[in-house]
Amino acid sequence: MRYRLRTSMVVLVMLLVALGAVAEQAPPAKPASPAPPASAVPSKPAPKRPAPPKAWTPTRTPWGDPDLQGVWNDATSTPLQRPSARAGKDVLSDEEANEFQQELAFDLTRDRRDGGPEVDVNRAYNDHWMDARRLKITADRRTSLIVDPADGRIPPLVPLSPERQKARAARADANARFNAGMPYSPEEMSLPVRCIIRTDSPPYLPTIYNNDFQIFQSPGFVVIAPEMIHSARIIPLDGRPHLGKNLRQWLGDTRGRFDGGTLVIETTNFRTDDGVVFQGANPATYRITERLTRVAPDTISYEFTVEDPTTWTRPWTALIPWTRIDPAEQMYEYACHEDNFDIVHLLSGARTREKNGEGKR
Amino acid sequence: MRDLTRRVKILCTPARVPRWGPRFCTPARVRRWGARLGVASAIIVVGLTVATAAGRQTSPARPFPAYKAPRLADGHPDLNGLWQAFVTANIDLDDHEAQSGPHPELLGAYGGWPAGQSIVEGGEIPYQQSALARRKQNLENRMKVDVSDDKKWHDLGDPEFKCYMPGVPRATYMPFPFQIVQGSSPYILIAYEFTSATRTIRMNWKGDAPTDSWMGWSRGRWDGDTLVVDVTGQREETWFDRAGNYHSDALHVVERYTPVSPYHLMYEATIEDPKVFTRPWKIGFPLYRRMEKNVQPLEFKCVPWTEELLFGRFRKTP
Amino acid sequence: MRTKLCVVVAGLGLLAALTAKPVVAHHAFGAEFDAKRPVKFKGTVTKMVWVNPHAWIYVDVKKADGSVEEWMVEAGTPNTLLRRGFTKQSLQAGTEITVDGYQSKDGSLRVNGRDVTLPNGQTLFLGSSGTGAPYDEKTKK
Repeated sequence: MRYRLRTSMVVLVMLLVALGAVAEQAPPAKPASPAPPASAVPSKPAPKRPAPPKAWTPTRTPWGDPDLQGVWNDATSTPLQRPSARAGKDVLSDEEANEFQQELAFDLTRDRRDGGPEVDVNRAYNDHWMDARRLKITADRRTSLIVDPADGRIPPLVPLSPERQKARAARADANARFNAGMPYSPEEMSLPVRCIIRTDSPPYLPTIYNNDFQIFQSPGFVVIAPEMIHSARIIPLDGRPHLGKNLRQWLGDTRGRFDGGTLVIETTNFRTDDGVVFQGANPATYRITERLTRVAPDTISYEFTVEDPTTWTRPWTALIPWTRIDPAEQMYEYACHEDNFDIVHLLSGARTREKNGEGKR
Repeated sequence: MRDLTRRVKILCTPARVPRWGPRFCTPARVRRWGARLGVASAIIVVGLTVATAAGRQTSPARPFPAYKAPRLADGHPDLNGLWQAFVTANIDLDDHEAQSGPHPELLGAYGGWPAGQSIVEGGEIPYQQSALARRKQNLENRMKVDVSDDKKWHDLGDPEFKCYMPGVPRATYMPFPFQIVQGSSPYILIAYEFTSATRTIRMNWKGDAPTDSWMGWSRGRWDGDTLVVDVTGQREETWFDRAGNYHSDALHVVERYTPVSPYHLMYEATIEDPKVFTRPWKIGFPLYRRMEKNVQPLEFKCVPWTEELLFGRFRKTP
Repeated sequence: MRTKLCVVVAGLGLLAALTAKPVVAHHAFGAEFDAKRPVKFKGTVTKMVWVNPHAWIYVDVKKADGSVEEWMVEAGTPNTLLRRGFTKQSLQAGTEITVDGYQSKDGSLRVNGRDVTLPNGQTLFLGSSGTGAPYDEKTKK
């Protein structure tokens, strides 16, 4: 009781200080981000998720917004989808969790040389080139990052239109050519290989390295700058409408608002190129909502809900913890296109091999 | 005053009375209107004098009266906003005439490049004599590319032409806006629309750049109301403009951003490179706040537009 | 043809099930490097190209007939190494290394650097590279 009273007093004092700081500013004043009109960012009922961690009062920026500033890392070995071997179990006991982590770490490590050449060549490079944090499961010992639906898996596909099936088949063909090392052209390779978008394309998912995101804030804005590939996702909080529907972008157009301590962001206006939205969903009907909440001094809870009624039978939600990086670490520039020698290696290599008689059906 | 009254009287001569109306030209009215004209004239004369005097006092160095920008909570000026330069220095830092640009037979006036005045303080960029040949070469080769050999990947072509990140200070005067994001952390972000380039200014950072990068390693500090940014560790492959002005791996840039009005930052950069220039040299120009309602930086992801150029020779031909 | 497509799609699906990453891997090394062409050689580092998306180690390899071949060893992202406390200076020109990997499918002198070790057998950048990098302290057993 006393603790709660003290906390409330602390919060009250902080709020007063924040308001005071805001009031002291000479014009043009920038107050704490105003609530947008109700129509701009529609709220959705929250999906079922594991019990949230113990409440922690977030610190606020001097202008009164919850403080998310810093560099955060989202690496983990917990898979996006629950492995069939763990079906029915959403959270593990300590012992099971240790076993799960060891299994995953063993599967994911690049230091193994026990798989034969076909496997070995894909295990490059040694693990010291990788983010060590990717071998750890999430602290809450879940068996999947997906928390909704309850089976921890991406929902089934709805029957796709013939055009979309054709497009998927074409994509699969191009992927097969790429995997065989015989791509026809730059544009048929994937967007990450071409250095157009990578981990910076929402939803943010952990990968083998460079899992870092720097959050900047200023009055009326939150900005998320992923490491790979460099870009700044500038999120206005003032309730302005999205861009007009004819202004489409590779990373879409994002608007945000604070709902208590949670930054809720909605992104629309995605380009319709293959690979822009998650796994071939339909940009015309695709919706993505992300929620960032600082739940502890060094932890942000990143939650995303993705839905597309013309692709999946229902929406699905994943929860990924972000951890503040060691202050001695930094986020570094990830230039990509500038030294992307592999595009030439792959294309010119394919042409050489064709000349030598390979790739003929 | 008497003179003006007399002029009003002239308007009210019998010949003209029908025009103005007999009711206007009563003696009392003539006196009153004379007085009003007098006051109006005085105001106009004083106003013109002040404006002319102010105009004469205006010098390039101080176009505005002293300005104190609004503060953020830490007491430093708030530089947040979407800013853009309107010089044409990206074409050429020096004086340049309007020109047709590449392939006028295809692009007509669309492809033309405007004229511009030098932003280099004191005139020319002080190249070492031996360094001039390379600038000439760069200019000749600015639209040539050859990426067939990894070791010669960067030998040809303006990096802007290839959609590579432009480095500092070029990113500041490219014809695209950039957003300054300044909060309450020890980092200020500058996010450029051109190829979504970003750079982080690390406030009060001490020490060398741990690695080279296209946008450099930026250390920031405040000098009064001026944000001073010290940039090292830039990739030597960046250019200053399309005219081939270049630098080496010894490039050291010190920028100064000073708010001079709610809508302007004055930008100045000192460029030093003992391998290429005989002495440090400066550029300067204003940055303008983008004022449109709901304005935001948009994407300029130009990588796909360079793929045919760079890699087209390796595509499979039927 | 249809069967093949099913296998590919199913295979990709399995991959998605196991990994946290989206289906299309950003780089399939087996695409470019040949599992049937393993290589192992010792050579001298001439330079390290410290760039993303891949760092490259240039190695001069002296052949039996006395001629020198220049090999390029493809490595990972330098950003990870920076965070482990290494820099470009951590691998000096003139260092002898042993490269164990797979050669490029098109026959060019490029290697997927599977294991790159120093003369004392320690893995490059994991063991001591002689610069006293911080990570050396962390990994001391």
